[in-house]
Amino acid sequence: MTEPRAPRAEALHQRFERVWSNLPGWGTLAAVNHTTVGLRFMATGAVFFLIGGILAMLVRTQLALPEQEIIGPQLYNQAFTMHGTVMMFLFAIPILEGLALYMIPKLIGARDLAFPRISSLGYYCYLFGGLIILSSLFLGVAPDSGWFMYTPLSGAEYTPGPGPDFWLLGITFVEISAMAAGIELTVSILRTRARGMSLRRMPLFCWYILAMALMIVFGFPPLILASILLELERAAGLPFFDVAGGGDPILWQHLFWLFGHPEVYIIFLPAAGIVSTLIPVFSQRPIVGYRWLVLAIIVTGFISFGLWVHHMFTVGIPHLAQAFFSVASMLVAVPTAIQVFAWLATLWLGRVVYSLPMLWILGFLVVFVCGGLTGVMLALVPFNWQVHDTHFVVAHLHYVLVGGMLFPLIAGFYYWLPQLSGRMPSHVLGRWGFWLTFIGFNATFLMMHLTGLLGMPRRVYTYEGGLGWDWLNLLSSVGGFIMAAGIAMIILDITLHFRFGRPAGRNPWNADTLEWAVDAPPTSYNFASLPKLPTRHPLWEQPDLPESIAAGEHGLSSIEHGRRETYGTDAVSGRLREIIHLPGNSWLPLLAALSLAVVCISLLVRAYPAALLGVVGALYFLLRWSWVNGVHPAMAPLVDDEPTDPPLHSRTCDGPGLWGMVITLMANGTLYLSLLFGWFYLWTAAPQWTVPEQRPLDLVPLLGAGVLLTVATWVFNRLVARLRAGESVDLGRGFWGVAMLGAGHVGLLVLVLWNGSLEPTERAHDAVLLVMLIYLLLHGGLCAILTGMQALRVRLGYVGPRLPYEPVVLRPLWIYTLGVFWTAFAAFILLPAAWGSA
Amino acid sequence: MLSPSHPVHLVLGLVVWSIWFVVLYGGLSVACAVAPPPVAMGPLTWVNAVLGAITLGVTVLLLYLARSCWRTVPVVEEEGNPSRFVTQVAAGVHLVAAAATLAVGLPLLVLPPCP
Repeated sequence: MTEPRAPRAEALHQRFERVWSNLPGWGTLAAVNHTTVGLRFMATGAVFFLIGGILAMLVRTQLALPEQEIIGPQLYNQAFTMHGTVMMFLFAIPILEGLALYMIPKLIGARDLAFPRISSLGYYCYLFGGLIILSSLFLGVAPDSGWFMYTPLSGAEYTPGPGPDFWLLGITFVEISAMAAGIELTVSILRTRARGMSLRRMPLFCWYILAMALMIVFGFPPLILASILLELERAAGLPFFDVAGGGDPILWQHLFWLFGHPEVYIIFLPAAGIVSTLIPVFSQRPIVGYRWLVLAIIVTGFISFGLWVHHMFTVGIPHLAQAFFSVASMLVAVPTAIQVFAWLATLWLGRVVYSLPMLWILGFLVVFVCGGLTGVMLALVPFNWQVHDTHFVVAHLHYVLVGGMLFPLIAGFYYWLPQLSGRMPSHVLGRWGFWLTFIGFNATFLMMHLTGLLGMPRRVYTYEGGLGWDWLNLLSSVGGFIMAAGIAMIILDITLHFRFGRPAGRNPWNADTLEWAVDAPPTSYNFASLPKLPTRHPLWEQPDLPESIAAGEHGLSSIEHGRRETYGTDAVSGRLREIIHLPGNSWLPLLAALSLAVVCISLLVRAYPAALLGVVGALYFLLRWSWVNGVHPAMAPLVDDEPTDPPLHSRTCDGPGLWGMVITLMANGTLYLSLLFGWFYLWTAAPQWTVPEQRPLDLVPLLGAGVLLTVATWVFNRLVARLRAGESVDLGRGFWGVAMLGAGHVGLLVLVLWNGSLEPTERAHDAVLLVMLIYLLLHGGLCAILTGMQALRVRLGYVGPRLPYEPVVLRPLWIYTLGVFWTAFAAFILLPAAWGSA
Repeated sequence: MLSPSHPVHLVLGLVVWSIWFVVLYGGLSVACAVAPPPVAMGPLTWVNAVLGAITLGVTVLLLYLARSCWRTVPVVEEEGNPSRFVTQVAAGVHLVAAAATLAVGLPLLVLPPCP
């Protein structure tokens, strides 16, 4: 535990705590602080990990001996589906997001993330979504089509029960949390670093998390869209994946793996970030090849999006196309190898301290390299065909995911545990935990490669004896239970740790990064003053930094104004730009998430009026959220002694909100492009794609809607330009006018829909058109409502020449909406007409 | 044109690679759906030729960008200005993107497009 503070530092600490601490009692549910939210993510993820582990033990028990009937085929299918779903969606990604949310501000010298309420909303969406999915298990209706939910098996015809609905709605709900974390982390890393922390001085962990966050932004929307489309097919009969209706089940596979393969790297990259953080500390020297590692991270982030078809080598894609993906799949091993060599070189040149976290890192290196090698084998098309859907693939993916994620995660957990608890981990129990897990894991999965090569298919609940699989399965099952004993040992270690752990003192591993300058356990505000950091190794170069930070000797040490503040800096150079004021405790994220949970559950039980009420509730709370911003009395009202050098961010034209909007629109644009991909894919590949004889939409009102939207966007841009120039004449009336034009645009789109002759349950063509129209309607409506709110804020004095921020943030949404409208018009109306197919 | 030290170059090469990859796979799929060449022609088809030409063009463009970035790498790192870091990493990104383009495009030389 951190030593007692000096009297001056203690007085400062008390003043900061009054502004930054969570509310007491139940009020803690309104906490938005990144330390609290990050810990909640990690604790919840750990519980889901244990549940997923129990399901795995069920599977291994069933497979231990041939021809067993312990759980039967139905429960077995639910068990392996839920094991994969829980581990991938409810454990691996959220726990790493939680770690990132917890660590990033501490590493970059910030007091909190850029959008604390979004983190809180993300947590509640994750928790409620996870509970909804899990409830299906206890209700006996869990999904049983595999964690990838392939159509047509997951369609209404072959799985009429509610299992896939739980999966589709629950996972989409959970994905709100992933998107929230992706946007939050991207903006926070780029815009809230300490002064002087340019890109080249950023800790490597931040580079990894930045790549992960951006991969979430671009990787998750295809699955969100696919889930929406499949749920629409199941609930309303829109035949996106039904061949007879002009759909194609392979479209699901494309959309799923467009998400699914990058997801592997979304999981691996943060774990590799942990490795790149720990190895220099336990080698007591800087990492070798910092620039090479940054290059490798960027390359991995991109190339991993070009591999998705290697999950689909057996569906009948042309050999040449398979070769493209085969080569790309092998290429991605190159940046991974660069990282491995940089880690080995650092270990080689350093004086390695073999502490407990280092043991897990060495385990990672062994297991992950093996998993990488079998990955290269699977990238080869002929070999892939041979072992497709066998236990070889199961073994490979566990080597990559457990070796590449769980081992580094536990290493990081033991490494940062003293930062959280102020105590050192137990080396005896910890080593028992490691060796049992390591031996158990390899006994389970090393043998499983052979089981697969001998031909045992995956996802079968039992097998005949005498096929050569018996002893291998028994060994795998025994290994599984040894691994479970290892995890149990770690749980025991942690349980004892918080009571009996040896006090750690400050920076017990002699680390170089800034999180060790924070008190242990951490304070709610991280740093009482914000230092300038023109170095990559602040604590090695300035060991007295923790004391000077706590004594308030650096920037932003005043808290009398009562605002939660952190610095906003330039994304590249780390130059100081503004003071970002952050929201305090808020119930709005919880209320919004509860409303969304009502929507989710109502859709599950097909209670559509209740779902509509939930939508209205969520909309109200989210709009209220956007209202409590800027100079709103509950946020940062104008005062006489406003800071001007640098100014508060809501008094500028380029704060984190603008960056958040742009990143959100990137994610939104990916969802839109996925829909366009679906349209073109079905058009060219669906075997029974048909188009109506008459154009199903009226062209004139559609064009009218486009004209109104164009005029509205143009006027809005003019108003924002004038606002930035300091003019405010007729600003409020201007915004009202734009809102009216937006409402007119929406009205015309409704007219197009109303008068159209779409038959969305008959033809996939019309179903996609319907989804596109609804997408345009939602965006037009959102633009109109938000602009109307801006007009109201002008009247209340919340927006004006001194306060131009919010319309500047809203501007990209108008431009985006205009862009997607005319792109949709070209792709859905003009192109088919020119092609002569509609 | 953007300065070679602009941070967009940290990702530009791979954005170009991504777009090329979409064009390659999408173009192949559309070509095979609309006008598949005879299987007997092997790899000597208009589809391979067009996609190969695009591949070569993109490779040359990426190599040019890599060279532009590398030639402007400052000799010393300035305090508060990470342009040396940015241009060095950007040159690497362009080079890797060029290599990836060429490597993924190589099968165009040996495989027929549609079977």
